[in-house]
Amino acid sequence: MLPNIDLRIANMTKALEQVILPALPREQRLARDQAMLVLGQLRMISQQWKSALRYEALSLDELVVLARALASEAPASIGEPLEAALAVAQDCDRTSITALEQACIALGHAVDAAILGGAEHLPLSPAATDAVLDYGLRHARRERTWFKANQMDPDQGDLPDIDAMLAAAD
Amino acid sequence: MSDTLDASSVQDIDIWNRDDMEPRVREILDRTVRDRVKGPYAAKTEAQVVAMLENYFAVTESLEDIVISDVARMAGGASKEQFAFVLRHKGDAKGEKLVLRMDPLEAISQTCRGREAQVHVAFADVLPVASVRNVDADGDILGQPAIILAFVEGVTEPTQGTGHGFSGIGTRYDEWAAKLAPQFIDALAQVHRFDWRTADLSYYATPQPGTRQAAIWQINWWSQVWWDGVVQPVAMVTYAERWLRENAPVCDEPVMCHSDLRLGNFMFEEPSGKFTAVLDWELAHIGDFHEDIAWAIQRLFGTWRDDGTFLVCGLIARDEFLRAYEAASGNRIDPVKLRYYEVLNAYKCAVIDLGQAMRAATESNNHQDIILTWLGSAGAVFLEQLVTLIREA
Repeated sequence: MLPNIDLRIANMTKALEQVILPALPREQRLARDQAMLVLGQLRMISQQWKSALRYEALSLDELVVLARALASEAPASIGEPLEAALAVAQDCDRTSITALEQACIALGHAVDAAILGGAEHLPLSPAATDAVLDYGLRHARRERTWFKANQMDPDQGDLPDIDAMLAAAD
Repeated sequence: MSDTLDASSVQDIDIWNRDDMEPRVREILDRTVRDRVKGPYAAKTEAQVVAMLENYFAVTESLEDIVISDVARMAGGASKEQFAFVLRHKGDAKGEKLVLRMDPLEAISQTCRGREAQVHVAFADVLPVASVRNVDADGDILGQPAIILAFVEGVTEPTQGTGHGFSGIGTRYDEWAAKLAPQFIDALAQVHRFDWRTADLSYYATPQPGTRQAAIWQINWWSQVWWDGVVQPVAMVTYAERWLRENAPVCDEPVMCHSDLRLGNFMFEEPSGKFTAVLDWELAHIGDFHEDIAWAIQRLFGTWRDDGTFLVCGLIARDEFLRAYEAASGNRIDPVKLRYYEVLNAYKCAVIDLGQAMRAATESNNHQDIILTWLGSAGAVFLEQLVTLIREA
């Protein structure tokens, strides 16, 4: 690929920084705000795009771990649909970001139904509750790390960079 | 005698009854789903705004020779489209400077301009608030729901300062804190001491005192937003909803809650620091005062002093803030209820950032979709807060 994606993102950020933003009148605050956010998104994407497939695969793998934990604790009325959703998720095309994302969505709905305890709101066992909270922490840390370049995280200094986070998960 | 709608006389609240909600909130959420398919939404041009306003004032007030001038889009916030403008007509050649605050098709929070207008009027003699010139609660004439307010001079953050944040978030107030903090605490106390029973708040309903209804109404509101708009399931959001239902506390004495009372939502004049307006009442409701306190102390809205002390809203240390609030309001803060409402507020923020904002941006139904996706990228901060708060509860 020539020009490659990194080069094109770098060109776009340079154009925004050096030409477009300086040309926007100060009173055009909405336009300036949105141009700044375009710049910020491009900077984040430049850090993320090469790892996006790995990231979506990791997201699905961690959700699978949670789904298995919930299925093992759940009554049949909840466990069986969850097992079925797990089987579909594990068959997805792991070379496709879109397929991984769709698998996360489908399995996520089955996990939600288990967390709510079905229509009867059956109680969650202590083990299932721990599994949800453990997953919740891993999920939050992963996403906070993925997006820490937005600089809105009050504790961004405590987060690793994306490569370190993915390496630790391997 | 209250002018609010009567709540059902339930003593035992069904924590899983999702229909138990303020009627007007239900209408707004239903309208959101119904209108979602009308997108995408484009930012209004100056010419469109002028045409909308000329027609509005001609129809509603029969004004003649209407001239709408000095139209200027106002930045800030992530919810409403706002324009400053000057209205002149045959009976007023000098003109009025006003603000049009209008719903885009979808925003991070779907709220009612009629409720906002009523609470502005109710607090007109209590706190500095912009006076209400007009309201089109359902957009019958303007084409989209809107409120027209008097223009108020002031700033939301110091023009000369060491740190500026988005929508006031992360702003450092430094030497301004001594002037702003007492007014901030007084405003909280005034809101909570307000006797809503004497005001016309017909768009509002009141939760039953001495029950869990105040909390359940909030969970039903925000979980409805989540389930109506979910783009991608988030297990922690679902678990938090369950936890909030199962741990909902009793509210003995419902009070008016602003629900977004933080720095960034006040305007003040420079150099005196005197408050000129309390802004953004769109989430106001009658509920538990702990909700407002828990909102103000969120980490996202605060900053840290150089010595590592966390400053609530960038102004005042947390313990000092809680003591000062109790003294000003006469309310006693229950730490268990405060922790509960910290969880509820983190849940609301997660729903806003990861639910409603993502749905609105996905449908391209906002005038600033890019801000919505930017906010969404911060949503995981609230997920981790949910885990931490629930584990500590």
